Amino acid sequence: MNRNSRKRLCFLGLSLIIPVILLAVFVVYPFWELIYMSFLEWDGVASIRPFIGGANYRQLFFKSPEFWQAFRNNLTYLLIHGLMMPLELVLAVVLSSRFKGANFVKAVIFLPFIINGVGISYSFSYFFSPVEGGFNYLLTKLGLGGFIQSWLSDPKIVNYVLSSVSIWRYMGFHIVLFMAGLASVPEDIMDAAVVDGANAWQRLRFIQIPAIRTVIDFMLFDVINGSLQMFDIPYIMTSGGPNGASNTFSIYTIDTAFKYNNFGLASSMAVIMIAMIVAVQLIQRYITSRIRRKEGHYA
Amino acid sequence: MKKRPYVLASSLALALAVTGCGGGGGASSNSGGGETTKAAQENQASDDSGQDQADNSGQEAAGSADRDISCTITLATWDVAAAKTFDELDLEGRFQELYPNVTIDIEEFNAEPEYFNSMKIRSSASELPDLMFHKSDSMNQYKEYLVDLTDTAANKDNQIASEYAIDGKVYGIPDRKANDYVYYWTDLFEEAGVSVPETWDEFVQVSETLQQHFGASDPEFAAICMGAKDAWPTYPLMEYGPASESGDGYYWDFMTTEDAPFAEGTAIRTVYTKIFNLFQKGVLGADPLGVTYDQSRALFAKKKGAMVLNSPMFLTAYLADGYDPAGLETFYLPFRDSKDDPFNLVTQGDCFLTVTQHSENPEVARAFLEFYYSDAWYPDYIASISSDSTMNSFPKELDPVLQTASKLQPDVTFVTYGAGESDFIHMVSETKFDCKELGVEMLTEGFDLDARFDELDAVWTEARSKLGL
Repeated sequence: MNRNSRKRLCFLGLSLIIPVILLAVFVVYPFWELIYMSFLEWDGVASIRPFIGGANYRQLFFKSPEFWQAFRNNLTYLLIHGLMMPLELVLAVVLSSRFKGANFVKAVIFLPFIINGVGISYSFSYFFSPVEGGFNYLLTKLGLGGFIQSWLSDPKIVNYVLSSVSIWRYMGFHIVLFMAGLASVPEDIMDAAVVDGANAWQRLRFIQIPAIRTVIDFMLFDVINGSLQMFDIPYIMTSGGPNGASNTFSIYTIDTAFKYNNFGLASSMAVIMIAMIVAVQLIQRYITSRIRRKEGHYA
Repeated sequence: MKKRPYVLASSLALALAVTGCGGGGGASSNSGGGETTKAAQENQASDDSGQDQADNSGQEAAGSADRDISCTITLATWDVAAAKTFDELDLEGRFQELYPNVTIDIEEFNAEPEYFNSMKIRSSASELPDLMFHKSDSMNQYKEYLVDLTDTAANKDNQIASEYAIDGKVYGIPDRKANDYVYYWTDLFEEAGVSVPETWDEFVQVSETLQQHFGASDPEFAAICMGAKDAWPTYPLMEYGPASESGDGYYWDFMTTEDAPFAEGTAIRTVYTKIFNLFQKGVLGADPLGVTYDQSRALFAKKKGAMVLNSPMFLTAYLADGYDPAGLETFYLPFRDSKDDPFNLVTQGDCFLTVTQHSENPEVARAFLEFYYSDAWYPDYIASISSDSTMNSFPKELDPVLQTASKLQPDVTFVTYGAGESDFIHMVSETKFDCKELGVEMLTEGFDLDARFDELDAVWTEARSKLGL
């Protein structure tokens, strides 16, 4: 090995060691501590932390209906965001075509995503308020006063209301991502398809969707990850209420730790959440790679 | 004086980081109108029997630490209004008359939950502030980090600190005490033709009449402005109800000795059934769970509500918001069934000042605590808030709005409230029993109270068995 190679190797080693140390200190060690804490009984304050094995996990799975309710609520967000994806794709296709004011429309659609989530949540909690709330006012002015509901306090509808706020916030982001993917489709292929007589649906199905599969994969992961970790909107708008009806996994975890002083149980919930996200990601990868193989595309 | 506001966002970030996702012992009787001074005198008499009278002159009370020491001591509070008062009354400047080189760093949190969330994390990192305020129940949890204040002059002169001793040691000195009130608009009562209730049934009747009278023309009207979306405003009913019904301020601790504390005939079941029946009459307005506490306060100010159940802090905040108190009066919430029964009134100490063992300057911190309860600071401070004094040497006259309650109901039995000791805290962790959330549950459609009692008894029995109680 010559002198230059040694220098390069030394530089490379030093360049890598710092990120590795940072990763170990700020990611690996906290994660290890989190897993360890999930086997303890700890109120978050006491210096004594008895080891209780898998009791926290057993309690979660077999004695915590609130845990499953929170999980179901997260699935509501996932379902609604998932159902909205085709619509977002269609809107992205429409907005990708050239028309007057397209840039303005794109900016307006993207705007909610860049507004602070806490601000959005506060605004919507007043918008849906039964006292001088904007939404009820609009309904009344439109002669639809009979449709007025307890938007944020009726357990039957609260999750859908909160999901709609989430959709409002993230839709623009998803559309812009789709548009970025669609922009990468070569124009000559699209022109050739038009010449061959392909209609808009056929162009979307057989050219554009296969071309943006990587974007769709990312979007799916983002939607699953975001839905499972949903926190700010329900926490600020309802605090998980009424009576836990809009609790999500994250809110329930925080309540368990800070309200009920059970950090061990909360840690086990955090571990389960991480495991779920990893599992979903693996399943998603498996399914998409199977589809690609089937269609003759190899990852 | 340096003030550090800790906003919601920072606390949420901390919370997220942790989750990895991005018998009657408390009752004391009192008769007569001036509740404050009389209670003070009674407690004074009992204190004098066993303890030396404290010396409260600022100079002498401020301890024996080195007067020339140069350091910064931190004081953490969740009470934004109190932090503002510290600034306005120049807390630091007054202390510097005794300790010229000591600066005070006020750590101000905008809400109690965020405050305790942060303190939990800091306790595990051995980074608690030198001095911190506590609730009566939180002292139990933090006792291993707190300094024993039993022998302080502040404790010896305090009316109720010893009632919150843990294992015989006083860890915190309450800077105020309060009982709850029902704030009401006299003109609305007159218009609806109702008078101040003296029993629970009368209270229910008054609420119903008000709701029917004003609610018919105003769908936003609520006879009782609760703001139950926030859950905590249900506490005058859900938290104090069992203590008032039983006359036992330490009812939560009593419950930890029972396998089925929600069984038929128990005080908690009786009072919760009363409350549930009240809620069923729609006297909290059309959508009580959709309205926050702040909104309910604004509605009350606009007279879209006739009553509010809250502590003297409500009045402090109400006046600070610039609302006009003309026509506003108070009465005590009657849980009793008959006028012949004693009128139990739950009262509790609040804002317990403690010195932590993490303090780098424990002598100065202790000196500050003595100064805080001396005539160099306390009289001006307690006069600036609505709550009552806890110090024998500095009784205060309550706000005229609050005095109306004691004039209407001069014969009350004070029940000193304890928020639950360590066994109860462990039971709450195990069972996730939250009385205020139960109040919210009662307001949800289709709620089955009897089934819920059975469910609570079942988890209670199991938890006691698990904890070996």
